[in-house]
Amino acid sequence: MIRLQMIRHLIVASCLVSSAVLQAADEPSTVLIIHAESLHTGTGQVLSPGSVLIRDGKIAEVGENLSADGAQTLNVKTLIPGLVDASSRSGLGRLDDEVTQEITPELFSASVVDWTDRDFAEQIAAGTTCINLCPSTSNVVGGITTAAKTTGSMTVAGGGDGHTTARIVSEKTGLMISVCSDPASGNTSRSRPDSIYVRQPTNRMGVVWMLRSTFHKARTAADSSPIVQEALSGQLPLLAVSRTQYDIQALMTLSDEFDFKPVLIGGQEAWQVTKELAARQISVILQRTVPGSSRGDERTRVCADMAARLQAAGVRFCLAEGDLLDQARFAVRTGLPAEAALASITSSPAEILGIGDRVGSIAVGKDADLVALDGAPLAFTTSVQWVMVDGTLQFEQADNQ
Amino acid sequence: MKQLALQAKQSGSVRPPGPAVRCVYKTLHAALGSGRFTAAVLACCVMIGSQQAVSQDGMAIRGATIIPVTSPRIEDGIILISDGRIEAFGKDLEIPVEAKVIDATGHFVMPGIINVHSSAGMSQANEQNPLVPFLSVVDSIDPISDFFVESRRNGVTTANVVPGNSTMIGGRAAIVKTAGSYVNDMIVKRDSGLKISLEPTSGASRMSHFARLRKELEKARDAEEGSTEEASEKADDANGEGDAAKEDEGQDGSGTSAAATPSAQQQTELATREALTSLLKGEMPAIIYCETAMDVAQAMSLIDEFKLKPVLVLGRDCYKAASLVADRKIPVILDSTMVYWRTDPITREDEKIVLPKLFSQAGASFVFQASDNGTSLGTHYYWYQAATAVKYGMTPDDALKALTIDSARLLGIDNAVGSIETGKDADLVILTGEPLDGSTWVETTIVGGKVAYQKSDDVRLRLLFHPEEDTN
Repeated sequence: MIRLQMIRHLIVASCLVSSAVLQAADEPSTVLIIHAESLHTGTGQVLSPGSVLIRDGKIAEVGENLSADGAQTLNVKTLIPGLVDASSRSGLGRLDDEVTQEITPELFSASVVDWTDRDFAEQIAAGTTCINLCPSTSNVVGGITTAAKTTGSMTVAGGGDGHTTARIVSEKTGLMISVCSDPASGNTSRSRPDSIYVRQPTNRMGVVWMLRSTFHKARTAADSSPIVQEALSGQLPLLAVSRTQYDIQALMTLSDEFDFKPVLIGGQEAWQVTKELAARQISVILQRTVPGSSRGDERTRVCADMAARLQAAGVRFCLAEGDLLDQARFAVRTGLPAEAALASITSSPAEILGIGDRVGSIAVGKDADLVALDGAPLAFTTSVQWVMVDGTLQFEQADNQ
Repeated sequence: MKQLALQAKQSGSVRPPGPAVRCVYKTLHAALGSGRFTAAVLACCVMIGSQQAVSQDGMAIRGATIIPVTSPRIEDGIILISDGRIEAFGKDLEIPVEAKVIDATGHFVMPGIINVHSSAGMSQANEQNPLVPFLSVVDSIDPISDFFVESRRNGVTTANVVPGNSTMIGGRAAIVKTAGSYVNDMIVKRDSGLKISLEPTSGASRMSHFARLRKELEKARDAEEGSTEEASEKADDANGEGDAAKEDEGQDGSGTSAAATPSAQQQTELATREALTSLLKGEMPAIIYCETAMDVAQAMSLIDEFKLKPVLVLGRDCYKAASLVADRKIPVILDSTMVYWRTDPITREDEKIVLPKLFSQAGASFVFQASDNGTSLGTHYYWYQAATAVKYGMTPDDALKALTIDSARLLGIDNAVGSIETGKDADLVILTGEPLDGSTWVETTIVGGKVAYQKSDDVRLRLLFHPEEDTN
């Protein structure tokens, strides 16, 4: 029987942890040095060997062979930054869609996250230490996305709304809008106009029309949503879900019209508009597709080497929606260089979300979110040995594994 | 072209088609697939002569690292193929001047992968009638289906096509090669097993499902053990059974009146008896699907009681019974979902379940199964399944054996396939790199000494990478 030790920070204090490795790193105040045969920074650099010095849960030094008096040491084969998933619904599984309105910019998914959900255990075991929690795509303007660690304290750490815990990296990483068929699907009935079940829009034109009127109102009316105003002025990224090339083009039309720079989520047919995306410097959060399949969500036509094409076209992109290591491995299989693939699940998503100052790479001053592996990061035969968040080991592959 | 096809069909019905005719099938098939009819006719005419010469004179693969699986690797080796079989392999072999030479320098050659259990090669894998031992997948296999194209693309050269998991006794499985245009040309082993599912048929409880299964087996055993005097009683039983079959037929809407089809009834009854007798004699293996761990224990009691020759196909939750199969030394086919999470209902502790790890810890031997549909990230690829097992502690050599020779042994076809050995079928895969490296692609798949897949000719793969070229 495997016994994987999945320890949430909440119960670390009371939980008896038998592992020597865990004990070594369980005191956050001590100085810890990790020596790796190869250290991948997540930004394209590889140090072989490489070491990293951790103090107070932060990366204090990175070098080839660091040492410090009284420091505890760990030796690993490969060290990479904790992975960042830019589009996730972890812990939101039981959240129903808000159906009474189509434009809900003030909604916070993070306020209803079930932090004890098994999703988080799965994420941390797979090396993902930070995720961007996204509302569902069923509303035209869905709500605010929040970046959070996949493990750590669940105590409320200010913020006023009661939804902020110490896990949260950035409360507002973007405002999510849907420029796709999702908000229109199933909305057909006009027979009971007084019912809350009557929803607009009922087709794709309606989706764009509602967005246009919302943006117009934000530009002209003083009492309009401050969040939308913030997003349109460029202070908050607009994360737009579009999959087909015509929806992506509709999004670009809107962005030209209202002069904002969106981040594209989905992008299954982005291979058809790589030049336009590069010209507008639009970043892409790629939703996962099944390897070997020619179709994606919304019957989109996908391209096997999409990641490699975006890379070649100079479009900043990241891979998202779980199983990040395996997704990056398949991207390498279809032509993406290995270091670019690693960046697409570490530093790129962090930069796209505007949280690159804290997570996504191994560099001085960043959170000590690290993943130890037993081989080349993007070999299918490589497994995760342990995962550290803020300098504390949170997951360890059991010895009998 | 019609004439060619007709000619081929006729000769096929009289005697096994010769290499030239089979080549016509293949060329036709390839051409039809890409929709270039005119080209097909031309190609057929040209190929009849040349391909015959190739199969007579043989083929040689040189320059590759040979992974025979049952013996150590050979760097820069040579494989000689003649009459569809491996004639010799090793270093410094003399290549006959007339042999067609494939230069695989820098590449790797391994035996064709064996798909041990799949319902994807057939159309409609589950029968509504829960008791259909008289059916055979052979009647449902579609040689030009995507399944076989996909198999060759991924280096799978042999497939055990098995009725689905949702029918109590779902029919007879067949082992086929993955290349060919007519089922009869592809068969390695007809009646490779009788599929028995311990998962209750929809609507039935576990008790009634199992009771009915046991009753059917007991009835067949009694009939088998019965003397000639009891034969008349058997006939009575048979009539009773026939009524049940009639009812089922009526539900299908295919049956007319009971009196109108007595001979068909008798035939069905005879075929049922024949299949169950063969099963009870241990001639035909019982391919038993266990949905949960409790089913494994039930399977063991069935195996003991009816002296079945088992092939166990285990659902993912069956890991709790791993020691049970280990004690009996029965090799098993693992579920295609080899890694998943569960939450303990009492402790609420989240647990990661890794099947290859648990089964090897229990001391059980196992082979992998790939998922039939690709909705998950990689489990529909056999190489991915093997790499996953290696990730969790299996040695790469053992993982490759599981894909090939272990699967062949489990299916009882290791005399013909599963390794690179002199005299075995020339089912070979030429790979661009190490078999379990993610950047490795299948360059060429050879089935029965003939090139059945060539990456450079793979239109569909090209369109996956270049969808802009798809004009449809």
